[in-house]
Amino acid sequence: MVVKHSKKSMTGNDAAAFAALYAQPKVISAYPITPQTTIIEKLSQYVDEGKLDAEFIIVESEHSALAGCMGAAWSGVRTFTATSSQGLLYMAENVFWSGYGRLPIVMPVVNRCLAPGWSIYQDLQDSMAFRDAGWIQIYTKNNQEVFDTILQGFKISEDKNIALPYMPCLDGFVISHTTAQVALPTAEDSFNFVGEYSDPVIEVDTENPWIYGGLVDPEKFIKDRTDLMEAMERAKKKIVDMNKEFGEYFGRTHGNGLIEIYGDDVADLTIVSMGTIADEAQDAVDKLKEEGLSVNEMRVRTFRPFPEEDIVEFAKKNHKLLVIDRSVSFGHAGQLQIEIEAVLQRNKVDTSVEGRIMGLGGEDVPYTKIVAAAKEALRSKM
Amino acid sequence: MKVTQKDLLNIPKKALLKGHFACAGCGSTLAFRHAIGAIADKVILIVPASCASVYQGGGKGAAFNVPTINTAFAASDAVASGVRRAMKMKGKDDLKIVIWGGDGSGADIGIATEIGACDRQEDILHIIYSNNVYGNTGGQRSGDTMIGAKTATTPYGNTTPRKMVPFIMIANNARYVATASSGYIEDLVSKVKKAVSMTGFKLIQIDAPCPPNWKSDSADTVKIAQLAVKTGIWPLFEWDRETNLIEISRPSKKYEDITNRVNVTEWTKLQGRLKTITEDQLKSLEADTERQWNFIRKFM
Repeated sequence: MVVKHSKKSMTGNDAAAFAALYAQPKVISAYPITPQTTIIEKLSQYVDEGKLDAEFIIVESEHSALAGCMGAAWSGVRTFTATSSQGLLYMAENVFWSGYGRLPIVMPVVNRCLAPGWSIYQDLQDSMAFRDAGWIQIYTKNNQEVFDTILQGFKISEDKNIALPYMPCLDGFVISHTTAQVALPTAEDSFNFVGEYSDPVIEVDTENPWIYGGLVDPEKFIKDRTDLMEAMERAKKKIVDMNKEFGEYFGRTHGNGLIEIYGDDVADLTIVSMGTIADEAQDAVDKLKEEGLSVNEMRVRTFRPFPEEDIVEFAKKNHKLLVIDRSVSFGHAGQLQIEIEAVLQRNKVDTSVEGRIMGLGGEDVPYTKIVAAAKEALRSKM
Repeated sequence: MKVTQKDLLNIPKKALLKGHFACAGCGSTLAFRHAIGAIADKVILIVPASCASVYQGGGKGAAFNVPTINTAFAASDAVASGVRRAMKMKGKDDLKIVIWGGDGSGADIGIATEIGACDRQEDILHIIYSNNVYGNTGGQRSGDTMIGAKTATTPYGNTTPRKMVPFIMIANNARYVATASSGYIEDLVSKVKKAVSMTGFKLIQIDAPCPPNWKSDSADTVKIAQLAVKTGIWPLFEWDRETNLIEISRPSKKYEDITNRVNVTEWTKLQGRLKTITEDQLKSLEADTERQWNFIRKFM
């Protein structure tokens, strides 16, 4: 039975704040940065008005924002923060510490480009720089998915078999500050779905003293990192299962949780992308189909763990991939393209790949640009 | 809150077990054994990158007998804040959240985080054991290095005055601020017990001689620490927000009067790091010591 929803108009950041409110974290530790700020402003308001029974730590930096959450996670309580861009970079060592330390923390990143060249607009350069930090990374395409992804995040991150921090990513402004319709379940139903965090993956205890993050020899170090790799592998299944479980409860899913296919199963060209560009690409697919061209789309929703099997399976059936990145690994190529090519190569799939960089620094990417790029790709020999 | 030698033996449990990795004559572990031992049943320890992240040992042979969370260099006060708030939500207000770190984190890289926690009046105690140097990395100058001291990055002697962290915390309206010494353990323990009985941000800075970096005999640790007090170099005091007064602690009382102080060379001659101290540097060191005392006198 699917629970009741009410249709509400809200920004992506409002949707994020609702999801956090409904999951009832016990400690929120946060610092302002555009375009994330309105998430934590809302939450501080909920706490001050007594709608959310939580401690809100108004810290002096992002480094401390995440450190506060880490302290809460070590203490075995549900915890939440959010950040963007330079803020994410400033908390860098704690991002890695919480990933490699297996701390369950949910932290949306509202994607914004990196300086220099001051700009507050969106690209994925910030979160992409943290793909190796041991966090689950999910790229959302609209306000509804932001709400759903954050709510799922607590259950995934706090699962003892997973115990990984969780980073839902949403494009700055295009999602964060744009009002759209969201089907909002009740607070009760939402919390029933998430549940209490009653069996913590870690909990500092005076009765049974333990040392967290102390000296290790290479043997133990390698074991810990191997465990982390295996947890990432388990997280793939968990994300798929969570997508189904969420679907049964709330009546909607997001692809299979890892990737989302749009259009025909087989086409002459497949557009591959993430975030809001992937949403826009769906309009491009429709437009191209009207013109009699054979184009479909694969949206990579989960970037970490990287859904190798799902991508390979779909790529095998298709001829050409046009990968659109909204970030660059300077000296190489767009990160999504690099990773797609790697899994195709590893699995001996001879589908050809062409990469395009679009939308850096908040450059608008309407479907018309994607249509033009697709037509070029269809003409090229590859 | 007077503490006697007998009280030092009467502790809830040992905080430091056999097999720690500290150097012989370590002033920091001596202070740890007693300061943390006195509150060992109720403490959660937060340790930033420091000698303490090494001398705690590791794995099953770990020497710290209290729950310990290791953090990044500048993160400890914020992690401690998170632990404190979480414990509040869990109704465990009786636990003492204590940071045990060196002057590298406490006076330099972590000071913004520390002032942040103080500004928020977080209910935590930050203990800085000051060996006046980045001890773990091979003895480089820190913000708390003495004038004249040779370090790996001041091979001809440090020329700039110490960053006075206790005064910074007084200015930022901490709940309680004190200095202490590995040479006066009863005084140290009484300050730690007093600090954890108060709600709010507390800071205690301990003079902790470091034989390898101070180039001193490991048998002289207590003697050197005591001489730092007797020469006036390391004034022992307490400040309480409620009175806004500094009280000179008993071991230091006599030495407020400059004429009672032991000649500073009695202290420098025991330390290789200060063997090459120049006349000018010695004068600056004495002037800086007076600067400290003059600050203290304003609150007396």
